[in-house]
Amino acid sequence: MSRDGSAASGSERARSSAPADPADPVDDPRPATYSHLARAVLYREYLIFVRYPANAIGGIVVALFFFGVLFYGGRLLAGQALTDSLSGIIVGYFLWTLSVGAYSSVSNDIGSEVQWGTLERHITTPFGFAPVALLKGVAKVVRTFLTSAVVLAVMLLLTGTRLSLDPITVVPVAGLAITSVLGLGFAAGGVTVLYKRIGNWLNLLQFGFIALISAPVLDAPWTRFLPLAHGSAMLQRAMVDGVRLWEFGLADLALLVAVAVGYLLGGYVVFHYATRRARRLGVLGDY
Amino acid sequence: MARSAASERGGPRGRDESRFDESRSNDEQADASPPALAIEGVSKRFGDGDDSVLAVDDVSLTVERGSIVGLLGPNGAGKTTLIKCALGIVLPDAGSVRVFGADVGDGRRAAYANVDAMLEGARNDYWRLTVRENLRYFATIAGVDPDSVRARHDRLLDRLELTEKADTPVRELSRGMKQKVSLASVLAGGAELVFLDEPTLGLDVESSRTLRRELRRLAREEGLTIVLSSHDMGVIEDVCDRVVMMANGRIVADDTVAALLTGTDRDVVRVVSADIDDALAASLRERFDVRGVETGLGEGGRDRPGSTAVEVAAAGDALYELMDALREAGVTVEAIETVRPELEDVFVDLTGTEPGAEPRGRSP
Repeated sequence: MSRDGSAASGSERARSSAPADPADPVDDPRPATYSHLARAVLYREYLIFVRYPANAIGGIVVALFFFGVLFYGGRLLAGQALTDSLSGIIVGYFLWTLSVGAYSSVSNDIGSEVQWGTLERHITTPFGFAPVALLKGVAKVVRTFLTSAVVLAVMLLLTGTRLSLDPITVVPVAGLAITSVLGLGFAAGGVTVLYKRIGNWLNLLQFGFIALISAPVLDAPWTRFLPLAHGSAMLQRAMVDGVRLWEFGLADLALLVAVAVGYLLGGYVVFHYATRRARRLGVLGDY
Repeated sequence: MARSAASERGGPRGRDESRFDESRSNDEQADASPPALAIEGVSKRFGDGDDSVLAVDDVSLTVERGSIVGLLGPNGAGKTTLIKCALGIVLPDAGSVRVFGADVGDGRRAAYANVDAMLEGARNDYWRLTVRENLRYFATIAGVDPDSVRARHDRLLDRLELTEKADTPVRELSRGMKQKVSLASVLAGGAELVFLDEPTLGLDVESSRTLRRELRRLAREEGLTIVLSSHDMGVIEDVCDRVVMMANGRIVADDTVAALLTGTDRDVVRVVSADIDDALAASLRERFDVRGVETGLGEGGRDRPGSTAVEVAAAGDALYELMDALREAGVTVEAIETVRPELEDVFVDLTGTEPGAEPRGRSP
């Protein structure tokens, strides 16, 4: 990463990797700012993404395979009924892939960091773990948006469906909807730090997201306070009915933000106390 | 760089900016500042009831800036738990840990500003990133702008013989090189206190030598404080100014390597003679503290073939008595010398176990 925030080019890295001249000890250590931290975390995620695309491509292929089964199988069984609700299904499936990506990448990432011995280094940072964890979460969400956008595009092409794809509306609504899932990911990661073997079982929770995404928010308004449910309903209105961000009621938007922030904070609190207990028990980092 | 400047740049709060302050020499810092590490009465027990284990038992320890302290002890002695307590990764039941004056329990962010660690068995870095990318990433995580320490990274890579692999993903490197990358990433941020748990594990002889040389240079020239835990006595003896030995969660010795070697109760002499037979050896065993008998010394050695060597702990009057006994038995002494104890011998004497051995009657 260069000082202006752009990624280091290959030639730049090559120059700096030349053997150092011991007679030229040019050192001017300066404190890193939160901006440096953000760039470092996002750049690392970018490098992993472009250097090892198989993981991302694999996720896209699996997501499309399941959608293909759902679409062709459903059309065979339900015929016109499926076609009538296809737009809603595509939006729901798009949100589900986003949610699964955000949740599993955060919870699995924490598990991997424990295994690699790098979690301790993120906990013993002078920045504090919270901003590092948050930035890592943001990086995962950005990455998930990219892969889910590909899945969405293929779904639309495959089915010939048209949806409203106004990014000013879709990105904030979907982003806030899955922020609550990010919180669940942190909570699951915290539990994984304490009880190492439970991580794989917690991945099963992602199937529960289907129920949350399709929650009957009109018939049971209380479900709006659950993660994803309210955001899913708003995303349906945005993408299927073409409602723009500024056309939503203030109460709807406020609730969307409140649910997102609430679950994110809740998840972080669970993570914080789980890691504190792990430190008390001496199991932080033991795998 | 002054603290206020750091705040203006939006850096993390509560950080000790001393490593960014080039106007102060190491000597000035040592005179005016608190020690690098001050552990006071730390205890840690794992588990409850009869199955519980007292891993660290009321340990106090001070490490001055710029020194290299070796932490020795058998497995389960409490070394790693003590290091983790110092880092705040394990919360002690009692006691306090201060790093450059900052309490790890109260203000961990400030304490972490100048500390990093390489823990045993941990990969410690990202294998899918290149060597240089790891150094830059972990320098940032440690609170340092990576561009500002590019020259330091170049020197580190050069001295650890990693320059040619700087742009290679770590996963493609040998085990020994991975170990060196792990160390380099710990040193990348310029932390002033580093904990190294078994840093030479998996390294070949040449790599181990390179690493020792670099550790000594970092302490001597850059004032780095190192707490080094290892079962490799050669590394400890070669690198450390001071050795702290632990057994059963307590410190059983804390001194310089030289003082431990000379101060130990091991005034052993080695007597070589062809006149020492089994009967005489048995007689000597009854009267003296015989530490070892080596019969039938082989060809090619400095001793006469067929000779017997007896090692006896004897100082002062006991040494005269031993000489009298040998004379009375008609022994012609071919050679007599003081046996210089190895650090490993001191370790065995003090802890009752071999380095790397499992503890006796204690859970790890």
